Amino acid sequence: MAAPTTMGIPRDGQGGGRKPSFFGRSETGAAYILLLPMLALFACAVIYPLIDTILLSFTDMRGMAAGKWIGARNYLTLFRDPNFLTALSTTIVWTLVVTALSVGIGWGLAIVCSLAPRATLVFRVMFFAAYGVAETVSGFIWLGIFRPGTSGLLNAVFAGIGLGDWTTAWLGNVSTALWCLMAAYAWTQVGLPLMTCFASIQTIPKTLFEAAYIDGARSTSIMRYIVLPLSMPGLRVAIFINLLNALRAFDMIFVLTGGGPVRSTETIGYFMFRESMLQFKLGYGAAATVVLLLAVVVISIPAIIKRTAEAT
Amino acid sequence: MNTAGSLKRGTRLSSALFIGLAAGSAALMATLGGAFAAPKGELVVINWLGGSELAAMQAFEKAFTEKYPEVTVKEIPITWSGDARGAIRTTLMGGEKVDILINTWPSFRQELVANGILRPLDEAWTKNGWDDKLSKSWRDLGTLEGKVYGIPYNYGDRSGLWYRVDTLKAAGVTTPPATWDDLLASFPKLKANGVTPYIVPGKFWAHAEVFETLLIRTAGAEASRKLGAHEIAWNSDIVKTALKKWREMLDASCCADVSTMLGTDWDNASDIVLKDAKGGFFLLGMWINNRAEDNYGLKPGADYGLVQFPALGLGHDTDSSVDAKEFNAVTTGQNPEAADAFLDFALSAEGSAVFAKAGLASPSKATDTSLYGPVIKTSNDVVAKADVVFVLGDRLPAELGDEYRTQLQKFLQDPSDANIDRITDALEVKAKELY
Repeated sequence: MAAPTTMGIPRDGQGGGRKPSFFGRSETGAAYILLLPMLALFACAVIYPLIDTILLSFTDMRGMAAGKWIGARNYLTLFRDPNFLTALSTTIVWTLVVTALSVGIGWGLAIVCSLAPRATLVFRVMFFAAYGVAETVSGFIWLGIFRPGTSGLLNAVFAGIGLGDWTTAWLGNVSTALWCLMAAYAWTQVGLPLMTCFASIQTIPKTLFEAAYIDGARSTSIMRYIVLPLSMPGLRVAIFINLLNALRAFDMIFVLTGGGPVRSTETIGYFMFRESMLQFKLGYGAAATVVLLLAVVVISIPAIIKRTAEAT
Repeated sequence: MNTAGSLKRGTRLSSALFIGLAAGSAALMATLGGAFAAPKGELVVINWLGGSELAAMQAFEKAFTEKYPEVTVKEIPITWSGDARGAIRTTLMGGEKVDILINTWPSFRQELVANGILRPLDEAWTKNGWDDKLSKSWRDLGTLEGKVYGIPYNYGDRSGLWYRVDTLKAAGVTTPPATWDDLLASFPKLKANGVTPYIVPGKFWAHAEVFETLLIRTAGAEASRKLGAHEIAWNSDIVKTALKKWREMLDASCCADVSTMLGTDWDNASDIVLKDAKGGFFLLGMWINNRAEDNYGLKPGADYGLVQFPALGLGHDTDSSVDAKEFNAVTTGQNPEAADAFLDFALSAEGSAVFAKAGLASPSKATDTSLYGPVIKTSNDVVAKADVVFVLGDRLPAELGDEYRTQLQKFLQDPSDANIDRITDALEVKAKELY
């Protein structure tokens, strides 16, 4: 005899398969029908603009003039454009440094917080709040910190503690602007790794630590053989999300430096904006967008495949 | 009885009465509403302005609808960052039906005309007698390929130095510099008083104003016009001379270090000079006037002032760079009658008074100039006598304009002869791609 059901869901946990449902069809069919509004919205808001952008990247559209089909010329020009190549190398440095900084600090803080979970609750909330604040707002906060002269907080602090020689226009100096931007952006991104790593560390059974201490394991060994491998699920999620966030970062760069001084803080995300919205080379800007999209896809696919494999 | 005669007399009498009534009505209509009998319906305006300019525009729209109560103004407010043209393009390309567009970039006007988006205004110009309101030079500024597309409603001097009276006084600079030597001589005095003599806001675009003014002072407004049209090469001597003149200022310790210049935006420059009194001069447009009054609570004339960039004695000392905001009529507009009435109102005494009261100079001859504050009056007097040319950066194609500002940042990093050659060559290469 079949197990009794509630609202068509078998209680024996065997799954629905293709059994008749409320819709009179298979449940898979019902799922598609329920997904339809979302899929339609996704098609309008993501798929259509995506296809349009790809098509645009094969034209020479500038300003409001209709573009002509020029094949792959934009892509060929792009990889010969010194500004794009500089933006590409800046993006690589930016993405790696920002991700390493934010995830490294987040993971470290998660370990510290795990030692006293209740006492550090407020502290964790504060860090995560920074992740929730709009990047533009964070940008304006950091603008006040890096302002030139002693009206900037950082310079005022240096001047106040007798390090007046260290004061500089942080965002106007080619050698410091990118590092300041990366520090500011990493600050906004620390919250997520802190939370995901903290959650992972909390799931490690205490008995493992107890056994390790009884066996005389040193702290470094405990970190290396217990904490690191067992916090990996949270760490992986944080690396994946922060890497993608860093790749498509724009707001903070826009507010703090506008890609300057002399295009020294321009990532591909900002290059795309400059070409499309300041120089109005829409076809060329679209080609840069497609390159950025491909970078995101290349990074995402292995992670998605791995997560899917784990889930099934 | 002469029936025929009395009939004829009766007909003549009624004809005369009819003509008299018609003429009287026409005169009455003209008095009440200019050449516009009664425009009605919705007038759609793309508005991307912000701050005090937005408030002035909304006051103007209110005054317009009070005069034409059957017209309602629908604003399409555009939020933007960086460059409003991107958002305006998106709005127009998205199919919005627009009657009026506010524009400040001659190069953008050219692009819109090339794509059939703007309606020529020659017919409306003749019909409404705008020759009586605007001088030929303003008509020329709004003209492209022989047709008028832009009706300017406010303008500003872009070759003036802003300063704070007490800053100069404290440094022993008794009068604002009138000559190049005066300017250079003021730098050590200001510096000795703990003030950065000249603030260059090189973060985004405002540093270009210094080059443009020096170009006008050394080569004249006509040369600037030709450079904008690429009739003069970017690596020609006139460009190099202007840059070398700028280098003279840098060599005279005019400014902060290069990092500070490249980290300073126009609003920081305004704060440093007018609010914090830590800078001597800076060069920027007339919107600073409202900022000084509204944001810093300063009194024009008494607390702060505007002086034309000093004379160099090279024969172009009265030339000046200006900006202007104009109205364009859009072809997709559904209400051209109301649009023309709107343009006419902008040039009328009532319309221009709204802008004048808001601290904005109007090019209309109908403007009551007694409404202007002392700073606007001074700049108006100068501009009225000057050979004026529109801001160079706004005349260049967007791609070249962006490159031009970046290359000027490179000049600030290294003002050597070799680098001047490099950056002017780079600009010429870019210009050749685009013209």
